[in-house]
Amino acid sequence: MNSYEYILEMRNINKRFKNLVANDNITFRVRPGTVHALIGENGAGKSTLMNILTNIQTPDSGEIYIRGELVEFKNPLDAVRHGIGMVYQEFMTFQGMSVLDNIIVGFEQKNGMFIDYKESRRKVEEICKKYNFNIPLDALVNDLPIATLQQVEIIKVLYRNADIIILDEPTSVLTPQGVQGLLDAIRFLVKQGKTVIFITHKLKEVLEISDDITILKNGRVTGVLSAKETNELELARLMVGREVMLQINKPQCKTGDVVLIVSNLKVKDSAGVIRVKNASFKVHAGEIVGISGIAVSGQKALVEAIVGLSTAEKHGEIIFCGRNITDETIANRRKMGMGYIAQDRTGIGSNKEGTIWENAIMGYHRVKGFKRKHLLDFNDINAFTNKIIDEYAVKTQGIGDKIKTLSGGNIQKLIAGREFLQNQKLLIIEDPTRGIDVGSVEFIWNRIIQMAQVGVAVLLISHDLNEVMQLSDRILVMYNGSIIEHPNSKVLTEEQIGLMMLGGVIDEVGN
Amino acid sequence: MKLEINGEAKSAMLKYCISIGLTLVFGCILITAQGEKPLRAMGYILQGSFGSVMNIGNTIRWIISSLLVGAAATIAFKSGVANMGIEGQIYIGALSAAVIGYSIELPPGLHAIACLLVASIMGMLYALIPALLRLYFKINELITTLVLNFIAKDLTEYITMWVIMGGQQAANGSASIATPRILKSAQLPIIIKSTTANIGIFIALAVLLIVAFFYKYTLEGYELTQIGQNMNFARMGGVNITRSFLMAFLISGFISGLCGGIEITGAYYRFTSSFSNNLGWDGIMIARVSNNNPIAVIFVSIIWGGLKQGAMNMERMTSLNRLIVIIIQMLFVLFVSIDYDSIINKWKSKMELKKPDYNGGMNI
Repeated sequence: MNSYEYILEMRNINKRFKNLVANDNITFRVRPGTVHALIGENGAGKSTLMNILTNIQTPDSGEIYIRGELVEFKNPLDAVRHGIGMVYQEFMTFQGMSVLDNIIVGFEQKNGMFIDYKESRRKVEEICKKYNFNIPLDALVNDLPIATLQQVEIIKVLYRNADIIILDEPTSVLTPQGVQGLLDAIRFLVKQGKTVIFITHKLKEVLEISDDITILKNGRVTGVLSAKETNELELARLMVGREVMLQINKPQCKTGDVVLIVSNLKVKDSAGVIRVKNASFKVHAGEIVGISGIAVSGQKALVEAIVGLSTAEKHGEIIFCGRNITDETIANRRKMGMGYIAQDRTGIGSNKEGTIWENAIMGYHRVKGFKRKHLLDFNDINAFTNKIIDEYAVKTQGIGDKIKTLSGGNIQKLIAGREFLQNQKLLIIEDPTRGIDVGSVEFIWNRIIQMAQVGVAVLLISHDLNEVMQLSDRILVMYNGSIIEHPNSKVLTEEQIGLMMLGGVIDEVGN
Repeated sequence: MKLEINGEAKSAMLKYCISIGLTLVFGCILITAQGEKPLRAMGYILQGSFGSVMNIGNTIRWIISSLLVGAAATIAFKSGVANMGIEGQIYIGALSAAVIGYSIELPPGLHAIACLLVASIMGMLYALIPALLRLYFKINELITTLVLNFIAKDLTEYITMWVIMGGQQAANGSASIATPRILKSAQLPIIIKSTTANIGIFIALAVLLIVAFFYKYTLEGYELTQIGQNMNFARMGGVNITRSFLMAFLISGFISGLCGGIEITGAYYRFTSSFSNNLGWDGIMIARVSNNNPIAVIFVSIIWGGLKQGAMNMERMTSLNRLIVIIIQMLFVLFVSIDYDSIINKWKSKMELKKPDYNGGMNI
């Protein structure tokens, strides 16, 4: 019937942002009248791909075919004209305006200079009737619940004559009942001949609703599957499965006393959303405890509360070396022997405007102190900075150079050296090897293991499952703000951990 | 072989050369457009600022205030504090100095010191208001300091008119709103006869040197620099952000107040309403041009003071208005603020993209 096999075909799409390859030669094909799920972790490249499709971003290279024809969008409106409509995760509504106004905005039916509200309303009502939406068109959008707002957004793209409807993480804001309602609506849309692209990382929904599945990981397509022929375990592996670039020998650890106890920790972010829910775990001296989880499962909030960048809610406790530090200042936590390698290397870990020595002594300058209380001791500064440079093999011209002249791997080695060479008792290490060269990765891994060998307690939070599995003595999984501890995490396979990261449950023997 | 100059110094030099060049071009156009010869106008500026001992003396008088406002702004900006309220802090400091200067009798020397000390402390307290608003109510100091400038200007005028002058005209019959003249004992000693060059220049230079030392050699200076460049980095290093923020804000206010005090005790000898003529804003410009480097502030202040003094001579000798010098100064600030590096880089990468795939020809 159709003269084309795919209603949408994106071929060899490449997009890079400076050093980050967001889309690496992605080919994405969607059959007409189907639900196609696009899955992957945050940062896997889904949003970039969709932004390219809606022409919010332009690709570095690649072609887009719609209904078999090569198209070149000049601006986002062009994409809309070709029948592409996107429902964003964050609804873009005009507060204080009616539902009808929000639906027709930008595409009003006009009567000369004026908006023809009668005709607009008739069209919108027609759509509502056809697709079974029951929406109060005159209500203000401010008063509507989220599930209804989402329907408003869907009507909006239908009103704009979209044939390909992209839903970006549509279920993340909905209650379970809301999710069922949405899935029903999607089925109905497809029955009416629309094509739906469904972006998510929830595997159950994917298997329930979609016909085809494309999986992205680190900017690449790791699989294109038919939903009937796959299962959660396979999807989990394709989504978070590790790429073993490097093998490392991790000797058995000798664990000592408990160094860190986190109990019933609850953390809200600055917007008041609960990010960590009743997290409890312990870290012993000489032990590397890894926390794995897909992005934005609450790792950031957990780390910030432990290191002191944010305050936890009242009823939880963080006990470090027998002392409750829940409300302690960062300076005091550092003085007690807590070191921290931040995931955000340039935002928190270093000051890119500063020199190498300025970056090397941050923290050390207060913790160890200098001979004279208010004066910088340049002998001490030189000695400490050069010690880092020597022991951590930082390649640099001189310690007065700006740190931005160094490569990412060298900056990370400098940061690691700064935190590791201060006789710490506990190291909080967050994504220590993200985006650095393999040589530096191996170097830093060895140093982390070495620190554990001398009796330092290490809490390793990483988005790289391979890193967690290679280094950790014990693996905790963080899912949706909760810490899940398997009684014998060392026996778990990567598929099983992957499934736990995506909300699956694995019992004691591994089923 | 090339001279070994590191990239940063190179880009700074490039920046200043382009800015000076552009400023000269635009300045010449402006002057020519008004029917004057640019070189002649510049000659009069130079003559008026450095042409004679007396001119140099009067230039020094302007250098003093430029130095101090430059220092106040540098401390704030280097430490990540957006203190736009230098102007207001100057007013508060100036009025306080004038009041102490005319109303109490103290031995010479001591009296002047008392004036300056009170002026500085009042300036500092005036800066405390926006600092506390920021720390306790999270109100951006950019807004509060701007608003407090107007309050300071009008409040000092009100106090002078209704409290000090009692709503009456001044005794000498002048219509201006001013306090009585400060006593001789409160006046700063003059260093060049029949000019207003006073020992304030040594105080101002000392302040700049202390600021330079503070940022280069002290722990607190190191921490403030780091906060100014990356607050989250400093915070994670255990730096007490609140305390440091407050400290930088207060020091900046202290120096602003001192500037107001020196203006009164060294040059004006009485507080007149609206006397400052946007002095506080000069500080922000000077810090901007100096890239927040205290030593550079000294050099920029000499140019600033020279231009201020020289402009008056130019106005006397040509048909030009001295406002044109201010326009040219502001053009310079504008050009210095341009990020030439990124423009050049963008342009370069654009050229590379446009370059056709062609490998033959003149490949050396």
